Amino acid sequence: MRALTEEETQTLFKKLAEYCGSGLKELIKPLDNSPNADRYVFRLSGNRVYYALLSLANAATAFPRDQLLSLGICMGKFTKTGKFRLHITALPIIAEVARNKIWIKQNGVMPFLYGSNVAKAHVAKLPDEMGEHSGVIVCTQDDVPLGFGITARSTAEARRLEPTGVVCFRQADCGEYLRDEDTLFASG
Amino acid sequence: MAPTTKGPAKHKTSAKGDSKNNKVLGSKVSKKNVKRPPPKEVKSKARTEQSQLKKTKKREYSEAELDLPKLNMITPVGVVNPKGKKKGKTFCDDPEAMMTIFAMVNAEKEGQIESKIMKARQLEEIREAKKKEAEARQSEKKNKLDNAKESIRNSRKGKGGASGNKSNKAEKESPKPKSGGKRKSVAFA
Repeated sequence: MRALTEEETQTLFKKLAEYCGSGLKELIKPLDNSPNADRYVFRLSGNRVYYALLSLANAATAFPRDQLLSLGICMGKFTKTGKFRLHITALPIIAEVARNKIWIKQNGVMPFLYGSNVAKAHVAKLPDEMGEHSGVIVCTQDDVPLGFGITARSTAEARRLEPTGVVCFRQADCGEYLRDEDTLFASG
Repeated sequence: MAPTTKGPAKHKTSAKGDSKNNKVLGSKVSKKNVKRPPPKEVKSKARTEQSQLKKTKKREYSEAELDLPKLNMITPVGVVNPKGKKKGKTFCDDPEAMMTIFAMVNAEKEGQIESKIMKARQLEEIREAKKKEAEARQSEKKNKLDNAKESIRNSRKGKGGASGNKSNKAEKESPKPKSGGKRKSVAFA
């Protein structure tokens, strides 16, 4: 387990900024104003990035690398090409500070949780100004986050779309907790 | 055949002579000979043997020693590391460094998103303008068509009305002479 290099941090922040915007600052700022205040940090173990309190990360250094399975919350992993891939486990963190949200109707929840894209017919509410191909959090009408995706159309275009047209391409959904159970938490 | 027979005979004589000599020498330096270790057989190695075939290490000259003229080449960025720089990865763990990276990334992303939204807005405006234009054109066409229809209708009405009037007039006129003319009166007796 180690801290991220500058390049890795940049890659990670670029990905997070797509969904969080300036809310990303909230994720990394110290918890209070005291000089030795605890803060959340990102740590790399294997190829996975974990989001944990600094005190916890420091305590975890006592464990050998091969015996440390997980630490804090897994945000995602670095691919072999050096890109960063967000995991569904990062959803509760991102959803709090999300830039865009799409609310889907009750009849669209299950199709989304089974891994399909969000159709226009299932959309209950769209944000006012949402660009094309920007990161978005998919929520139920009760504001429960279900997953995240990338918008297929801008808001204006999406409003004109036919009911079967795709509004948002799925990136990750809560159904992965079951579907990818074997690989989601496995290290390496 | 002859040389073969001569050979062994010569050997014999020489052997005898040797033994005599040995005896003489042994009597003179007998003590020294006893202490010496038995002479070891030194085998001369064949040239084709592996150890002989191995090349002896020649001195290797570095480029600087050779004093070669330098080629006008480009040194790719990142190939030559500056001296005195730390080897390996540079971690960014302190909050300041993280905030700096965040600010950089965020500014870049904001710019991208802003431009995207601006582009979408512009496209939307163009689309709206086109839509309005198309609507205006359609309404104009419809008006023209309506006008044409109206004019045809009017012309038909005019024609139809004239004939109708005539008939009406005829109808109106026809009783007039009846009323206006001398009425036939029937008188009895």
